[in-house]
Amino acid sequence: MEEKLVAIAGNPNTGKTTIFNSLTGTRQKVGNWPGVTVEKKEGYYIYKGIKFNVVDLPGTYTLTGESEDQKIAIDFLIENKVDVLLLIVDASNLERNLHLLVLLSELHKNILIDLNMIDIAEKEGIEYDITHLEKLLKVKFVKTIGNRNIGIEELREQIYKESIESRSEIFTLNYGKEVEKIISEIENNLNKSTFYYPSRFLAIKILEKDEYFINLIKDKIEYEKISMSILNLEKILNNSTDRILIEKRYGIIHGIVREAIIEKKKELKFEITEKIDKVLTNNLIGPLIFLFIMFLIFNGIFTFGNPLNNFIELLLEKMRNSILMSNLPSYLKSLINDGIISGVGSVISFVPSIFLFFFFFSILEDTGYLARAVIVSDRLMHKIGLHGKSAIPLILGFGCNVPAIMGTRILENKKDKILTCLSIPFMSCSARLPVYILFAGIFFNNNQGAIIFSLYLLGIIVSLLTIKFWGSIVLKHVSTPLIIELPPFRTPYWKSVFIESWTRTKYFFKKAGTLIFLGSLILWLLSYFPNPENYGSEFNYIGKIGKIISPLFKYSGFNFWQAGVALISGIYAKELVVSTFGTLFGIKDLSNTLKIYFNTISAYSFMIMSLLYMPCLATFLTLRKEIGLKWTIISLFWTLFIGWLISTFFYQTLTFLIGS
Amino acid sequence: MEKLSEVKEGKYKIVEILKFGKLKKMSNLGIFPGDIIEVVKPTPGPVVIKKENITIGIGYGIAMDIIVEKVE
Repeated sequence: MEEKLVAIAGNPNTGKTTIFNSLTGTRQKVGNWPGVTVEKKEGYYIYKGIKFNVVDLPGTYTLTGESEDQKIAIDFLIENKVDVLLLIVDASNLERNLHLLVLLSELHKNILIDLNMIDIAEKEGIEYDITHLEKLLKVKFVKTIGNRNIGIEELREQIYKESIESRSEIFTLNYGKEVEKIISEIENNLNKSTFYYPSRFLAIKILEKDEYFINLIKDKIEYEKISMSILNLEKILNNSTDRILIEKRYGIIHGIVREAIIEKKKELKFEITEKIDKVLTNNLIGPLIFLFIMFLIFNGIFTFGNPLNNFIELLLEKMRNSILMSNLPSYLKSLINDGIISGVGSVISFVPSIFLFFFFFSILEDTGYLARAVIVSDRLMHKIGLHGKSAIPLILGFGCNVPAIMGTRILENKKDKILTCLSIPFMSCSARLPVYILFAGIFFNNNQGAIIFSLYLLGIIVSLLTIKFWGSIVLKHVSTPLIIELPPFRTPYWKSVFIESWTRTKYFFKKAGTLIFLGSLILWLLSYFPNPENYGSEFNYIGKIGKIISPLFKYSGFNFWQAGVALISGIYAKELVVSTFGTLFGIKDLSNTLKIYFNTISAYSFMIMSLLYMPCLATFLTLRKEIGLKWTIISLFWTLFIGWLISTFFYQTLTFLIGS
Repeated sequence: MEKLSEVKEGKYKIVEILKFGKLKKMSNLGIFPGDIIEVVKPTPGPVVIKKENITIGIGYGIAMDIIVEKVE
């Protein structure tokens, strides 16, 4: 089948992801861009007998070499034969969005514009003369309303058309006589050697004073001569070239948009968003709302997730019974039941909870609340020496610490980055949720939601204190100021939210699945040998290992070898804490058995320990890549120490106050 | 004329953005000198401003370099 490549570009908050999801449906996968740790989304759909491979480029406002995200977008367009570059444009914000069109047109010719969220623009009284815009910009426009799935078929048709006929010309911005002269002068110089990037693009980047691109070409061209010419021009025009380029671009776009607007109500007011924002970002009410929303989410995960989890457990129980009844050899029965079903199965039963977490998170993202959460957290983050943007990776940490640590790349300052990375392992990732659900369900029957919430809160507090501590001791610095767009509030498109959460859940379990399977297998071997008849007992290897380390936890309230084994395997992947109990105690009577070993206080103390001690293997590896071995080792000992300290302190204090 | 970091809620005109790096950051998000903006939320904490349907949160470090003028 013939294949075509479509790349999607656009500003953040233009509904890019929704369009991507509408085009590809569930035929997509998430991964990483090679070499870097920015999320990459790919998918495909088939239209008129052609397979369209779609790549979602990172959302950007500009195209500079100074940021990882933007470099990815630039390089993707250079390295691949992109048949159609689909630019998603927020119709109610045309001017700013078209700025990216100008930049992209310096790099790629076959651009198609998706004028998205046309309904919001219309509601605000904005209407454009599309034919006029198409004539001026020499590109095609398609109107869509992504979150209501309107216009997607027309979009497919137009992508198809663009992909079979290649565009001969596109809008080229003329920067004015003097600037164009220097552009061609630089181009001539560049053309003496060969470069990866188009020469006009490079010339413009030099005038923009983009350090990344300047360093790339500096030694291969007569840079001194070029700098002199630039300096001369700046003297004549009494303005710096980077400033001139920006002014020129916006000036021309402003003119074009003004020309194409048919109707704009006299005084545009956006009172409702403004009123909501006044409340959501209010210094007093804002944080309370933030906490309340987080509380609702964790309660929601529990209320909706629990029945589903129980249902899966029921299915697993049935599987186990049918294995038991079968005439397989006993070691195989044990391997399947005690090893695989108990290990992998107990984690699979938490799929609904993980899915719900991503589901709620997508809603926060799509409605635009997440950016408000950054504003609200900025004040607090500032007090401890970071800015609100660090709050994004930290909040991401609730999902999985690995992407959270990767997400610290949005922080420009190295020290900001290290501090944030040190504190992320304390953010309670979804893999730790099964531990809480299990223990809270058994020991805190009436307050499960509140108990789980308290652990998340504890994690946040510890991570903030970590930042404060290391920030004031070793990593003293002034943090970079915050600037962030607050997208307009929108109703999420449910199909997209579902696809989004499903793809993330799938990715999460694919990655975790292999680790868990291997982990369960190793655990089973250690539990089965050398005495198969005493499975998972202290007479087998597993018990011996557990016994060596369990005295460490004497004062934390769980001085028995099974807890030691569970915590060791949790380092491998945090999900394994629960599955280890499943393997060691047998999943059937798990809750009754745990009640023998734990009381209410030690159960909570164990949850604290699971929350705080050591990042998992995947997190460890990511940390090493992002902040180096020295800080990773510091993080390792720090988390272990803090986990031990707080759980012990908690257990001792409460036992003293209430009595065991 | 006042700094954006020191004003109360209300309507203002951006007179100047002092450092070029900051001007660049602001213009990337669609805010330019000469624009009429609404201060939705003043300091303490980030300042939230609105221009038509663009809403932006700005930290103190940037807000202090944005010079504004009250518009009646």
